[in-house]
Amino acid sequence: MGKKYIRELFAAKQITIASSKEQLFDAFLNDTANQQIAQQILENQQRLMDIWQYKNRLADIQQQPVTIPNATVGKPYQATLDFRQLNWSDVTWTAIEGLEEFGLQYDAATGAIEGTPVKPGDYRLRLQFRLAGGDAEAAAHEKLLPLVINPNPRSLWKNIPSDTADPFWKADEVAECAPLGDRWVTVASKRGRSHANVGSFRDDDYAFRHLEPSGWSVLAVSDGAGSAKLSREGSRLACAGITDYFEQYFNTAPTADIDKLFEEHASGTGMDTQKKINHLVYDTLGKAAFAVHKKLEDFATAQQVSIKDLHSTLIFVLLKKYAFGYVIMSFGVGDCPIGLLNKDCSAITLMNRLDVGEFGGGTRFITMPEIFTSDKFPTRFGFKLVPDFAYLMLMTDGIYDPKFVVEANLEKIDIWKTFLDDLNGNNPENTALPLGDHSPESAGRLAAWMDFWSPGNHDDRTLMIIS
Amino acid sequence: MRRLPVYLLLDTSGSMSGEPIEAVKNGVQIMISSLRQNPQAIETAFISIITFDSSARQAIPLTDLASFQMPDIRATGTTALGEALQLVSQCIDREVAKTTTEQKGDWKPLVFIMTDGVPTDSWQNGLTAFKQRKTAYTVACAAGHAADTAVLKQITENVVSLDTADSATISRFFAWVTASIGVTSTRVEDSGKEVTGLHELPPPPAELNIVV
Repeated sequence: MGKKYIRELFAAKQITIASSKEQLFDAFLNDTANQQIAQQILENQQRLMDIWQYKNRLADIQQQPVTIPNATVGKPYQATLDFRQLNWSDVTWTAIEGLEEFGLQYDAATGAIEGTPVKPGDYRLRLQFRLAGGDAEAAAHEKLLPLVINPNPRSLWKNIPSDTADPFWKADEVAECAPLGDRWVTVASKRGRSHANVGSFRDDDYAFRHLEPSGWSVLAVSDGAGSAKLSREGSRLACAGITDYFEQYFNTAPTADIDKLFEEHASGTGMDTQKKINHLVYDTLGKAAFAVHKKLEDFATAQQVSIKDLHSTLIFVLLKKYAFGYVIMSFGVGDCPIGLLNKDCSAITLMNRLDVGEFGGGTRFITMPEIFTSDKFPTRFGFKLVPDFAYLMLMTDGIYDPKFVVEANLEKIDIWKTFLDDLNGNNPENTALPLGDHSPESAGRLAAWMDFWSPGNHDDRTLMIIS
Repeated sequence: MRRLPVYLLLDTSGSMSGEPIEAVKNGVQIMISSLRQNPQAIETAFISIITFDSSARQAIPLTDLASFQMPDIRATGTTALGEALQLVSQCIDREVAKTTTEQKGDWKPLVFIMTDGVPTDSWQNGLTAFKQRKTAYTVACAAGHAADTAVLKQITENVVSLDTADSATISRFFAWVTASIGVTSTRVEDSGKEVTGLHELPPPPAELNIVV
């Protein structure tokens, strides 16, 4: 027991020990009864400080911001209350009650909160804890931990059927697999989630036809503009218009002359065959495109709507098998690509130039009269003469945006190889077409594959594969 | 994936303390929760919070809605609006991806500014910097009569004012901001088109006066 301590205690009350009283003070300190009193003061002081420290520490912990990452329904979750990092070495016991309700569990030994959340919402978890030095019998302390459980984004999308009573209704989903000359066509067109969510229509469309006796096949894909109110009919008319046009055209066209031109070109026997072919492609496909444009214009007039309400992109291909290989001619307006993969899939030919918004000054539609007078019109045509090919694909941006992302990737064979692998089942959903299989199930499988999930990409999807 | 960046510039000067700042915090919180229910917004919208009082700081960098956590915001000091404009310009440069032939960039950012006073810093430099950045639209909100709508009009043509900076009015403002972000994210996902101005947004509630 310090003499100094008692002296300071007295000094705090302005009691000083005069030097003449030093002896008396020593005797006072040696008195056992007085020593006990002093001891008690010390113990009480210590206790008081301990209680204060405890309360102080408790308040610190309760005010300490502790954040745990947000969870998402259906997505495995793992967060840890790192006691060391939180400076909680004096926290001797913890528990979180009621976590099971959210599909989570708390491991007090490791501080881990784990599980697969089942219920979305903004919650406050009640973390119960005890501190070293606390009363083990008393109720545990409590701290609220905010926890956000996000809904599974996929569960937020509604699938509202479109109105079948609408005059320009079309099926929300179609898929076909059919022979096309000596090849096969597998095609599916699906309403995007953004349309399904509000019960609006599929704006994409397609058409194909194999024409005999000419031997030509015609393929078309169109994407109706989202902002145009009758574009679903615009895209349908555009595709049907192309197949109808060529059906009639080849009834009367000089097909023998056309065949001869390609044969001469292939064997290198004719004169100026490239020039003649260029002219043929430009003339034949250009007239077809313009005929479709006129047809849309007439429809708009008859319906008393603006042709802008029918805004649709259009790509189409004429394909024919010859003894020397295949002739492929194409036309495109808008941002839908036509890709031709060679026999061993080692090279890709992008048949058309895309009208891409940001760089091309906005996309273009078959419904725009100015495309026919633009000096860019001749760049809309494509021609290829190949001994054979693996696949010819026509698609809308609903496929190309998620799978190719940017235009530049459409000319990269590696990206196409990844795309082919994807179609063959190398995808998170493990859905396989697979390519080259032409069974009655193929159409349904392509439609199923087309359900792939890609955040931010919920447009209508149309993919036509000639294999 | 193309993100829709949303910058919220919030005045946290001393005059906002008490009811207004609590209303702002509450408004942002409710906004985040309700946007999380919107399938398009939860995928595309990314939110950043910039607060400005005696200086400006980015309290939350551009963060997706699913992982967003509300920061602690306190009201104190003066109104460095100019610095906030300077800062949001830098954030846009740093955080918003540009479209190139190799990558698809983000959508143009949306900027919402809320202030209850007049700028106390030299704000012209900040304004010049901000004007050079491309936004889909910028909306400035003058909360209460002490705010200077003439200053805000120089920042953007889209200025709204609230008669009072009480919690009911502020919450209506954030409800409208929520609807605007929702509409914009749906629009960019559906049609690939940006929203360009106030006229394309949901009509503001009666508490919001459009400053012309």
